[in-house]
Amino acid sequence: MARDGVLMQSIKDILKNFDCEYVQDYKKIWIKAKLNSKDDLLRLSKELKKNGLRSLSTVSPTDFLEENIMEMNYFFEDLATKRNLWLKLDLAREISECKVESLTPLFPSANWHEREAYSMFGVNFLNHPDLRDIIKSEDYSNKAPFRKDFDWDAHEKNTLLNVQTIVDSFKKEQENNEINLDSDSSETILNWGPTHPASGPIRLRVHCDGEDIISIDPDIGYVWRALEHLVTKKDFVGAIVAVERLCFMDNINSMTGYAMAVEEIADVKITPFASWMRVLLGEVARISSHFMGMGMFFMNMGLHTLAMWNMDTREFFLDFLESYSGARIATASVEPGGVRYGLDMEMFVELQKALDKFDDSIDEVDAIFVKNPTMKLRALDVGVLSEQEIHEFGLSGIVARASGVKTDIRIDEPYAAYGEVDLEYITQKGGSAKDRFEMLFRELKQSVKIIKQAKAKIQEGVASGEMNPTKDHMVKVPKKLPKGEAISRVEWARGEVLMHLVTEEKAKTPYRLKLRAPSFNHTMMVNHLLKGKTLSDIPLIFGSLYICQGDLDR
Amino acid sequence: MIQTITQAVIFPGLLYVLVWAVALFWFFRKFMAVLHKRVGPKFNGIAGSYQTLFDFSKLLTKESITPDGVNPYLFSTMPPLALIVAMLPAAFIPWSEGFVVIDTEYGLLALVVLIGIEPFLLFLTGFGSNNKYSFLGGVRILTQSISMETSFFLAALSPALLFGTLNLTTIVESSTWFSFLILFPAFVLYFIALLGLLEQPPFNIPDAEQEIVYGFLTEYSGTNYFLLKLSQFAEFMAVFAGTVTLYLGAYKGLLFNSYFCFFIKMVLVAMIMMTIRASTPRVTLAQMLKFSWKYMVPITLLNLAWILLAKSMFFMGV
Repeated sequence: MARDGVLMQSIKDILKNFDCEYVQDYKKIWIKAKLNSKDDLLRLSKELKKNGLRSLSTVSPTDFLEENIMEMNYFFEDLATKRNLWLKLDLAREISECKVESLTPLFPSANWHEREAYSMFGVNFLNHPDLRDIIKSEDYSNKAPFRKDFDWDAHEKNTLLNVQTIVDSFKKEQENNEINLDSDSSETILNWGPTHPASGPIRLRVHCDGEDIISIDPDIGYVWRALEHLVTKKDFVGAIVAVERLCFMDNINSMTGYAMAVEEIADVKITPFASWMRVLLGEVARISSHFMGMGMFFMNMGLHTLAMWNMDTREFFLDFLESYSGARIATASVEPGGVRYGLDMEMFVELQKALDKFDDSIDEVDAIFVKNPTMKLRALDVGVLSEQEIHEFGLSGIVARASGVKTDIRIDEPYAAYGEVDLEYITQKGGSAKDRFEMLFRELKQSVKIIKQAKAKIQEGVASGEMNPTKDHMVKVPKKLPKGEAISRVEWARGEVLMHLVTEEKAKTPYRLKLRAPSFNHTMMVNHLLKGKTLSDIPLIFGSLYICQGDLDR
Repeated sequence: MIQTITQAVIFPGLLYVLVWAVALFWFFRKFMAVLHKRVGPKFNGIAGSYQTLFDFSKLLTKESITPDGVNPYLFSTMPPLALIVAMLPAAFIPWSEGFVVIDTEYGLLALVVLIGIEPFLLFLTGFGSNNKYSFLGGVRILTQSISMETSFFLAALSPALLFGTLNLTTIVESSTWFSFLILFPAFVLYFIALLGLLEQPPFNIPDAEQEIVYGFLTEYSGTNYFLLKLSQFAEFMAVFAGTVTLYLGAYKGLLFNSYFCFFIKMVLVAMIMMTIRASTPRVTLAQMLKFSWKYMVPITLLNLAWILLAKSMFFMGV
């Protein structure tokens, strides 16, 4: 493991050979460094990859208007030995000068992240294989909306014109669809989405020949809410409502991640009660998400029964969330400093009902759906991801664990009270769609176990007087934060969420919040997995990747 | 003359099909709801029974949109034609003792042929829709019906072979508990092929909504959609009635013979179909083809051999 320091040291040894402004330890398993020259980036990345840092988690530019600097943040990860490197690099801000060598040829996972940086900040990546706009709609083309000097008001004055631009470009694309193809072939382009029964707000441009898929080009951004920009317009508490809308299925854990980053900058430590509550609420949200995920998996094969059964049980868990926060879905219940509300111990009655209902009904699900022979017939051999691909494409969550990669932020870098929770890596070997489904089922059971632990722990603490459920939930966090930056990672229901928060001096609002969400990487795999398969496999494989369009577009 | 009109319009014609479709749709919803652990339609009428009526009448009165670029004649003639063809088999079914509209020596032949034509009409609806999804759905339904019909016909042939006649009334009259046992494998095979022919799970490939939206139905709305949906339910009726006639002794009951027994048996077949629907995911087109040609067709042929053997053993001289 990395914590012994030897492997960690090897990263530092590599960095020694390069011209760095600083190299420092950050948290337990991170090294933070800043490169002086952008010419070193490619050479350094090669060395890092050789050393085992095989995944590039995300690329996040930060626009410093006053300093006239575009600061690039690269987050390298090694899923196997849990070592991470946070590499910074300054670029010139002017669009013509703002360019850097692309890392996509070395790290395939960087592909879309670099396209996002290009679209939002106008950073030009040299030698990128496919540098096109992503996420943002056509009316933003040639504009960089996330730059600090972008005038949103001026852009939105011409709403009608903007809508017309989007419509025109879509029509033009549709008219030219078949014209651009070989006229002798029977190839055609099928729009799978955005109003397709199983697609959700995403469009897959499926190049197909009859039933056979030639290639797929996902078109995303249909639910782009510019969350990363939105939070900079809110105060530190108000920002949680933007963060939780990453995806409504599991809203708690994303708020936990954000709150941790703020607490780190404010240098605040939360109470044990609050951290146990974060575990408890987080697992309830995870269960709610996994229930939907399992239901969707079967729904994508035309069977609605499991979704209905799961809804039935899920309602009881939502009842608990409602009794705690007043809302069933968007709870806004975790904020910097702890959790938003105190706990009335009566609420545990609701939770116990949910747990009982779960225990009563889960064996049926196992017998009828997890062991379903027709499901295995469909899903056993499709969508197979190897361990190698998990590392290369920076996949996380159940998708990574289904291929046997032991990665789980709750264990790798424990947050909230996960350090004291008894849990272990759950992995499958095959990496197929079926394995991903089984992962959901097994993690569901694990989450219930964790809830039981957290519940017992809180009850114990309250009984012994260590915890005060009505007062301990919050520690005061100052309204104005000092200048600083922090990253936090949480194991979200769908995988790893990394947040990079930057604040200015006496900040009342976040200056920059990068949300690295797992579905972005997972959607990158769609073409890779579906090439050469048939149309019937699209919903199955797409569904098994456990993608949420909310965190795909942000 | 009056009798013919009555039969065409009331029983077993249009009105009967309408009532059957509304009732079956409601029954499907309620039965499915129980399997799904939910309530189903509830507010309108007794146990939500008006809901389906409202839905159908709503569809009937809605605008029927004909998209740009389609052949309007092909697009709009197919739905009524599909309904008529789906209703025709009812004329050959012995609904109760002594009641059959067309009593012919070729009843079975008429039944399987009329059931077999239906998918081709649906293919034409997809072909005429000028939509990629509809076209894919049309091609799928054709592929599926070609491969499933073979075993469907071969299975339907078993009672004819056993009793030595194609007359449905004679088949029903000669059926006994013992013949039911002999025909049981044929019944199972017929039922599986029926799932394929009616596009029911696990063979609901042609209108797989998660894959190709709604297949051949994608572009249809309003009245045309209503007619297609109605023809689907009329098709259900024809195939269920065929099952009951060929294998389950039609109107013969334990205590008395009447249409009531016929009806109960049809509902039982529907319930088996729904239970499979509630527990089995869809297979792919390739898997369906493989299943059909590699397993279903050889087994139905084997079944014919078994029927001939049984006939020579137990029915010699009958």
